[in-house]
Order: sequence, then structure tokens, then C-alpha cells
Amino acid sequence: MMATDPVPPPGPAPPAHPAQRTDAGARTAEGVDEATLAGRARAGDRAAFGELVRRYADQARRVARAVLRDPEDADDAAQDAFLSALVKLQQYDPSRPFGPWLMRIVANAATDRRRRRRVRRAETLDEGLLAGGHRPDEVAEREVLGERLRQALAELPERRRMAVVLFDVEGYSHAEIGGILGMPEGTVRSEVFHARRRLRALLAEWRDGG
Amino acid sequence: MNDTNTPFAHRPDPELGDALRAALTPTGHAAFVARVLAAAHRPADPLVDVLARWSRLGIAAALIAAMIATVIASRGDRAAAESAVGGADPEAVVAGVQAPEAGVLFAASVDR
Repeated sequence: MMATDPVPPPGPAPPAHPAQRTDAGARTAEGVDEATLAGRARAGDRAAFGELVRRYADQARRVARAVLRDPEDADDAAQDAFLSALVKLQQYDPSRPFGPWLMRIVANAATDRRRRRRVRRAETLDEGLLAGGHRPDEVAEREVLGERLRQALAELPERRRMAVVLFDVEGYSHAEIGGILGMPEGTVRSEVFHARRRLRALLAEWRDGG
Repeated sequence: MNDTNTPFAHRPDPELGDALRAALTPTGHAAFVARVLAAAHRPADPLVDVLARWSRLGIAAALIAAMIATVIASRGDRAAAESAVGGADPEAVVAGVQAPEAGVLFAASVDR
């Protein structure tokens, strides 16, 4: 069953889907491709590095948040990843897309942080929201759906979470995700399929009145 | 049934993608970018601080190495002494040596 009531994305403008995504060699509105920016950043051009951070900040934070539920932890991991990428820019092959290279670093940074961090006090979820209580305004309803989706994501295995976010949100191909997560393409397909099944059930339940 | 419902689907699901994007996209894009750039461009530690940190580590490592070397050397001396006296306790051998008698010493000096 397909959606009849699509959820409007609030907040910052959504990132480009595959057809619009800026891979190496692709021109951007500013007329500078990412391989060139990476080369300039490697040579010490702060503005070039800043532009790369601006382009990938939201994506990196989302991918990190798919691993780390706590938004502050996720931002810390995303920041670690950008700093790590700056140090490792010498290793980046400009003939390949920049996004998957960076996302691999983000995924590793988030996973490392999750392993290292202390067990924190369990996040307190709004029981009213989780119980499905409706609020009159649409913004509040989206908040409820968002919390439910985050909760459902958190219950998935970590790689499944990252796979579905990288595929359905960030628009990477199965092959690219395989490279990012270090798993065969077929496994990526399977992980995305299982994650979708769980998340779509939640969306369907939401549409039916949650 | 749409083609994103199978493991062979090769296209993102727009509805699910939008919902997840809304759920995962945090606020504060500009603040985050500024924070990352500030961290990236933070001046490195002064050379003196770096050297001081290294020297402290170096001194600690040297002390540990000296202690280990002392232990190893003392064990080595004892093992060498034991092998020289045929496995007997070297301290007992040293303690058991009798001083020569005075007459013998005197006779030896007269002969020369």
C-alpha cells in the first residue's frame, strides 16, 4: 500500500536524491566540484573545507543519529568524522565520489563512539507520544511520528539502520552503501528490505490512525 | 504493490525517505558548521607544550625501562654466578672460602 498522505519534511531543505546528488566531477551551484574542493582543502584552503562541511553537515548528522540516538552524541560523532576526514584528505581519491568516502568515516566515527561511550541513563521517551496520543496541530503530529520512527530505528540492528537511512534518505546506491558499511551488495539489499518492512508497518499504522 | 517492496528494489522509497529525514534531521545547521570549522581551525598546541608532554612521557618510560633493566641484570648476574660454581649457591661458595694461613704466606714471600 502506498502513501496517500505524504509527510512533509520540516526543517532544513532535504538533501538531494541520487539524480541531484553532487558526486565528484558534478558541478554545484557555486561551480566548484567536490573533488576540487577536497584538493583545495587538502592544500589548506579553509573556505573549501568549510564548503564541504556545509554540504554534508546534515547528511553526516543524520547518519550519525541513525547509530546514536542521542543528538549530542551524534553531533559529536559527525564533528569527529569531519575532523578525521580533514586529516585523511590525502587518502581521498578524487576520481571517486566524495560522499561515500565521507559517509564511511561518519559511520565508523559513530560506531566507535557508540562502543566507547558509557552506558547512559536510558533516554526518557514521552510516554504520551509513544502511546499514540494525538495532538491537534500538524507539527505536533509530525513530532510524534518522528519519535516513533526514531524508536523503531533504534530497535533495528545498527547496520540495518544505517543501510536504510543511506538508501532511502541519502540516496546512495546499494553498491555505494556496501562500500560504506563494508558489506556485500546483496547483504545491503537484504538489510534495507527488512528495515523497510518494519518502518513501513509503522507508517501504515500511523496513517490508519496510529 | 510497488517496486520498492522487494529486496531487489533499486529505488529509494520517497515516503519513507521523507519521514525518516524529518525524524533524523536536527536543527542548528549553521551552528554545527561553525562548531566544526572552529574545531578544525583551532591552533595547534605550542611546540613547548608538545615537547613538555613528550618529555614527561619519556621520563616515565625511562624510569620503567631502568627498573626492568635492573631486575633483568640482577637475575642475569645470579644465573652467571650459579653456572660458574657448578649450580651451587654462589653466596655459600664465597662464604665458604678459608683465608690462607699466615705461615704459608710468609714462606711464599721468603722463597721470592
